[in-house]
Amino acid sequence: MSVTPREPKIVAFCCNWCSYAAADLAGITRLRYPAVLRILRVPCSGRVHPQLVLRALQRGADAVLVSG
Amino acid sequence: MRRIGVFCCWCGSNIGGVIDVPRLAMEALNLPAVAFSTDYKYMCSEPGQELIVRAVAEHRLDGVVVAACSPRIHEATFRQTLERAGLNPYLLVMANVREHCTWVHPDDPERAFAKALALVRGAAAKAARTEPLAAGTLPVTRRALVIGGGIAGIQAALDIADAGFEVLLVEREPTIGGKMVLLDKTFPTLDCSACISTPKMVAVAQHPRIRLFTYAEVVGLKGFLGNFEVTIRQKARSVDHGKCTGCGACWAKCPARVPNEYNLGLDRRKAIYVPFPQAVPNKPVIDRRHCRQFTRGRCGVCQKVCPVGAIDYAEEDREWQERVGAVVVATGFDLFEWAEAYGEYGYGRYPDVITGLQFERLANAAGPTGGKIVRPSDGAVPRTVVFVQCVGSRDEAKGREYCSRVCCMYTAKHAWQVLEKIPEAEVFVFYIDVRTAGKAYEEFYVRARRAGAHYIRGRVARIYPEGNRLRVVGTDTLLGRPVEVPADLVVLATGMVPAAGSGELARILGCGLDKDGFFQEAHPKLRPVEAGTAGIFLAGTCQGPKDIPDTVAQGSAAAAKVVGLLVREEIAYEPTVAMVDQTRCTGCGKCRAVCPFKAIELVTRQVRAGTAVAERVVAEVNPGLCAGCGNCTVACPSGVIDLKGFTNEQLLAEVDALCL
Repeated sequence: MSVTPREPKIVAFCCNWCSYAAADLAGITRLRYPAVLRILRVPCSGRVHPQLVLRALQRGADAVLVSG
Repeated sequence: MRRIGVFCCWCGSNIGGVIDVPRLAMEALNLPAVAFSTDYKYMCSEPGQELIVRAVAEHRLDGVVVAACSPRIHEATFRQTLERAGLNPYLLVMANVREHCTWVHPDDPERAFAKALALVRGAAAKAARTEPLAAGTLPVTRRALVIGGGIAGIQAALDIADAGFEVLLVEREPTIGGKMVLLDKTFPTLDCSACISTPKMVAVAQHPRIRLFTYAEVVGLKGFLGNFEVTIRQKARSVDHGKCTGCGACWAKCPARVPNEYNLGLDRRKAIYVPFPQAVPNKPVIDRRHCRQFTRGRCGVCQKVCPVGAIDYAEEDREWQERVGAVVVATGFDLFEWAEAYGEYGYGRYPDVITGLQFERLANAAGPTGGKIVRPSDGAVPRTVVFVQCVGSRDEAKGREYCSRVCCMYTAKHAWQVLEKIPEAEVFVFYIDVRTAGKAYEEFYVRARRAGAHYIRGRVARIYPEGNRLRVVGTDTLLGRPVEVPADLVVLATGMVPAAGSGELARILGCGLDKDGFFQEAHPKLRPVEAGTAGIFLAGTCQGPKDIPDTVAQGSAAAAKVVGLLVREEIAYEPTVAMVDQTRCTGCGKCRAVCPFKAIELVTRQVRAGTAVAERVVAEVNPGLCAGCGNCTVACPSGVIDLKGFTNEQLLAEVDALCL
C-alpha cells in the first residue's frame, strides 16, 4: 500500500525588525525555500503568546517557528 | 459585517510572472468579509492608488488588503492612499506576496499560488478585525543636549544654538576642544589646528544660547524622543569658577608635578592646572588624585596664594536634572593602547618610540618643546625618523580589523614636517597600503614622497634598542627582502578606538554599539547620524574613525536633524501601542518588569468595577515611550493588556486563516 506524502504546514512568527526583514532579504536575494512556510508578522518575538503557538498547532500546523 | 477590499498587485512580472494574479483576486472574493477584489499591474503607481481610492468610495469599503510587496517597503505609501480615500490608515493590511512568496518560489508556481492565497486569507482575516487608530501627539522640549566638546560637539552645539535653540554642552575634561586642538597642523592644507579650532571654542563659551558644563558627565537619561530628562554630574573642581579670575597664581606655586595628559605625558603639569593656555574655560581645576592637600592631607599652597579666595577643598560632586528634547553624542575617540598589544615594538619601554599624537605635540609650537622635533630620551634632533603605519589598525592579530582612515594622511604630513624642519633628515614610512581618499589628499601624499620620504611596503616585525638608537626590522614586500633601518625616532601611526567609557555611556543612553565598540548608526547608508534610539544622534568619531572635515560635516548633519525635531512644538507617536484594561488589571507589575522601554508605570487610579468605584494600583502605558513590542501582553497573567495593530483577536484570526 502506498502512502502519498502529505505536505507539512509550518507557521512562522517573525519579528518585524529582524527575521521578518531577513525573510524580505531572502526574497530580495532570490534565495529558495519550501513554499510550505507561512510567515506571520509580529512586532517582536516577545509578542508571541503561547496561546498563539498552541492555536496554530490546534489548527493543523505541523510545526511552529518563532523567530526574532 | 465588514466590507474588505483586496487589491492584488502584479508588480510587473515580479509577482505576475510567477502566479496568476487575476485568479488570486477572484479567489479572494470568496473570503469572509471580502466585498471587492481586483488586480493591477503596479498598485503603488498613481493609477493603481487611484483605483483603490475609487473602489473604496464605490464599494463602501471599510478595510483594505494590498497583496503586493513587503509592508516594510510600501505600507507607508498605501496608508497614505487610504487617507486620501477617507479611511483611517490603520485599516490597511498588506499581504507580502513578493518577498515572501514569488521571489522565493519562482520554480513552483502552484505552491506559490496556494501560499499567496493563504497570505491573502490571513491578511483579510486580520483586516476584518482592524479598527481606526489615531496617532497621538506629545509636546517637545525645545532644547538639546550635546555630549562631548570636541570639534564634532562644538560644531553641532553652535549650529543648533545658531538656529535659535538652547544647547547644553557637557564635556568631561576641564576644557572643550577635544583632540583637534592638540594637533599641530591639519592635512592636507597645513592649517594650524589650534588657530582654526580655538575661535570655535570661544564662540561656544560666548554663545548666549549655549550652556557649557566642563568637568561634567552625563550619568543618567530617562524619557524619550522630544522629552528626555538627563542627569548631569558636575565633578568637584575645588575651584569656584564664579570667583576665579584665571590669574595663574595657584598653578605657579603648586608644588605637585604630574604627567601632562595634554602633551601625552611628554612633560609635566601641576596638580591645579589649566590644560593649555587657550583652554575654555580658562580657569583651573584641582586634580585630586595628585593634589597634596588630598593625597597627604596638607599643603594648602593654592588656597594661600589665591587672591580672590576661590579655592574650596570641601567642594563635592553635584548632580541635577535637566529636560531636553534631543541628544547628540559626540564623544570622539582615544588612541589604541599600543604599548599593551605590541610587544615587538617594546611594550612602550623605549622612550623614542612615540605615537602620532605625541609627534603632534612635539611639532606644535605650543607643545613641550616649543615646536622642535626632538627625541624624548635625550632631546637630540633625530637624523633618521621611521614611521610605522597601521598600529592597531587593519591588524586582526591585535583584534583591530578596521582601517582608522586618518593615519595614512597624518603620517604623510608628519613625514613632510620632519623633512621641512630638519634639513638632511631621512624619513622612512612602513605601510600596508596608502589610502588617500579625500579632497587634495592624494596630491599631498605625492608631495611628501617627492620631498624625499621613502615609502616601504611591509609591516615592521620588530623594534629594539641598539646603543642609543633603535633598530627597525621589517620586510619590503614589493622587493621581497628584509629591511633594517637604524633610527633615532620611531613614530607609530596608532589607530582610533572608541573613547574610554563609550560602553557605559551607550548603556545609559540605551544606544547600541558596533562590533568594534563605536556607536551604531540607525542605517549605514541612509541614516548615518541617527542612533537606533529615536531622538539620539551621532556626530564624529564616536560613530567610527573619520577625519576632521567628515567629523565637522557630521556635527552639522546631526545639528540639522536636531533642529528638524525641535522646530516642531509637538511630535506624533505611532498609535500601535499597548493598552491596559485597568478595570481588570491587578497591579502585579509583571508587565513593567518585562518592558524594555520603561514605558509602563504603576499608578493609583479610580477604577470602576461594575457599579462600584475603587482606588486601585494599576499599570499604565506611556504611549510616547511604548515601542509596541507587545512583551507586556504575553507577561500579563490576567491577559488584560492588548497591543493595538497586533491584537490577540487579529493574530488568532490570522493564524486560523493561515492554517486553513
